[in-house]
Amino acid sequence: MKGGGFRIYAICYLIFLYAPIIILPLFAFNDATVIAFPLSGFTTKWFAEMTTQPALGQAVKNSLIIAVSASVLATTLGVFAARASTRYDFPFKGGIMGLIMLPLVLPEIIVAVSLLVVLLGLGVNLSILTVILGHVLICTPFTIAILSSAFQSLDRSLEEAAYDLGETAVSTFRLIILPLVMPGIISSLLISFTISLDEFIIAFFLAGTEVTLPVYIFSQFRFPQAVPVIMALGTILVGMSILLLTIAEYFRRRGLARSGAKDTGGFL
Amino acid sequence: MTVEKPTMIEFRDVHKYYGDYHALRGITAKIRAGEFFSLLGPSGCGKTTLLRTIAGFEGISSGAVMIDGKHMEGVPANKRPTNMVFQSYAIFPHLTVAQNVGFGLRRANLAKDELARRVGEALEMVGLKGYGARAAHALSGGQRQRVALARALILKPKVLLLDEPLSALDKKMREQMQVELIKLQRQVGITFILVTHDQEEALVMSDRIAVMFEGEIAQLADPETLYRRPNSKKVADFIGTMNFLPAEILSEGPGGIEIEAQGLGRVTLAPDQAPGAASGQGATVGFRPETLTILFEGQPTAERESMGTIEEVVYYGDMTYYDVRLDGTASPTRISMRNVFGRPVLDIGARARIAWSAGALVLFR
Repeated sequence: MKGGGFRIYAICYLIFLYAPIIILPLFAFNDATVIAFPLSGFTTKWFAEMTTQPALGQAVKNSLIIAVSASVLATTLGVFAARASTRYDFPFKGGIMGLIMLPLVLPEIIVAVSLLVVLLGLGVNLSILTVILGHVLICTPFTIAILSSAFQSLDRSLEEAAYDLGETAVSTFRLIILPLVMPGIISSLLISFTISLDEFIIAFFLAGTEVTLPVYIFSQFRFPQAVPVIMALGTILVGMSILLLTIAEYFRRRGLARSGAKDTGGFL
Repeated sequence: MTVEKPTMIEFRDVHKYYGDYHALRGITAKIRAGEFFSLLGPSGCGKTTLLRTIAGFEGISSGAVMIDGKHMEGVPANKRPTNMVFQSYAIFPHLTVAQNVGFGLRRANLAKDELARRVGEALEMVGLKGYGARAAHALSGGQRQRVALARALILKPKVLLLDEPLSALDKKMREQMQVELIKLQRQVGITFILVTHDQEEALVMSDRIAVMFEGEIAQLADPETLYRRPNSKKVADFIGTMNFLPAEILSEGPGGIEIEAQGLGRVTLAPDQAPGAASGQGATVGFRPETLTILFEGQPTAERESMGTIEEVVYYGDMTYYDVRLDGTASPTRISMRNVFGRPVLDIGARARIAWSAGALVLFR
């Protein structure tokens, strides 16, 4: 009974989590405009129809620009912060790191509203740039969390050994530190890319007229005939997200294996 | 003793502070070229800090560190003629064995086959011939140790620094590496400086040893002098086992020091049997467990003899340790006896005749 009860609970839990996602591909390939059972037949026309909508193409383009820029910027900032916090001691370190990590637990709507107020107050026009700014803010804590563990597992004497063997601080970073934390950097890039691509609230508040993919999808739900196309789009997005997170986890584990450290968890 | 070798490393009144903590308290010492030198002491005595001031990983607060006659102030670690074997070995896990060993030669811009030849030589020297293509993270502890040695020695440094290099190995491997390190040092002729907390390791491997306590060198001597003539009770206690008995100095002259020691009686000691400076804590004589002998029935009377009662017997196979209360003493004295075939192991409570010799005593005052 003990094990059985938990097993039933776990199964219900997983159904609750994943059933709606399974609906996506189901109706993406269903030959009907109405989202309802029974299914009426197999089709790929909804995928084909996606290519005929220029607004969708623009939204995808915007989203990709934002996601790439935000993940590169957030990861760069994360490298600096993670290196500094694991290697050096400076005044108010705990407080500073706490403030940087805060957006992780702050409601996103608060971040979005306050950013909007500040940006409008400063007279900044809403554009892709402002969305990138917002996404860097929410992605950076994630990158620091990932990269800190990468820098932490780095044995300090590796740096000293390279230095001892005649390398400078810069070449030591390039030859030893960077290759060893590279898996962490890649996994940080992939995770912040995924976060940025999926993000809705900040993008909705700060995008102005240049909508991102999630915002576009939300706006399309007003038109019933557009729903199957959204299902097709959602299917592609889910597939991509799973792929990216898998790659990210692969690199994180490979990094741990290479530096010989113990696996202490991580995101997946 | 041969001709005095030139000095390779010199510490001149070196002090090091970490904030308020005084880690090195006026180290002055010379390390000779080509010698196997050990820094020995308990953890936290400053031995690793001192080693790292030679490598250039730690700055010093005052004083001077000289390597081969040159001031090292302001010379960074990557410009010093020293290389280090780290306690964790610090093998670069993303490189192969050959890439690790050849790492220091990167800046020399050698031709490919010249680089391969020198890496091959270095690997052969440490007994890892043919391991070049292996991934470094797949090596065993002993192999990592050898790669670290080859990597440090390939640059032909003037000084090789070893930071507790054997502490991570198991006992058998450690003993094997001790012998190999001694052989290697003789072969390359480079000055080796070893940091260790293991007194036996220091005695086995070193030409000379500096015993450190609390940021100071307590005694700097060759292993035999350190063992036979420690200059303080603290050094005597740290290295091997030493018995102590209270004593009283009766007279002191150019001919020697006459003392009255508890349980031993009146003894005249040569001046070199009191190597330490006066501490003002009263006189004590010390002697090693193996310098006393229990006389069995039928053995002739020795020159100096005391009587005692056996209080404890510890049998080790090849040796037996006896704790014997010499008549007139307050604490037991440890005596180690080799178990010669046919000789009985004595029982607790037995009375025994103990032979000793005045020359084995050391006076602390």
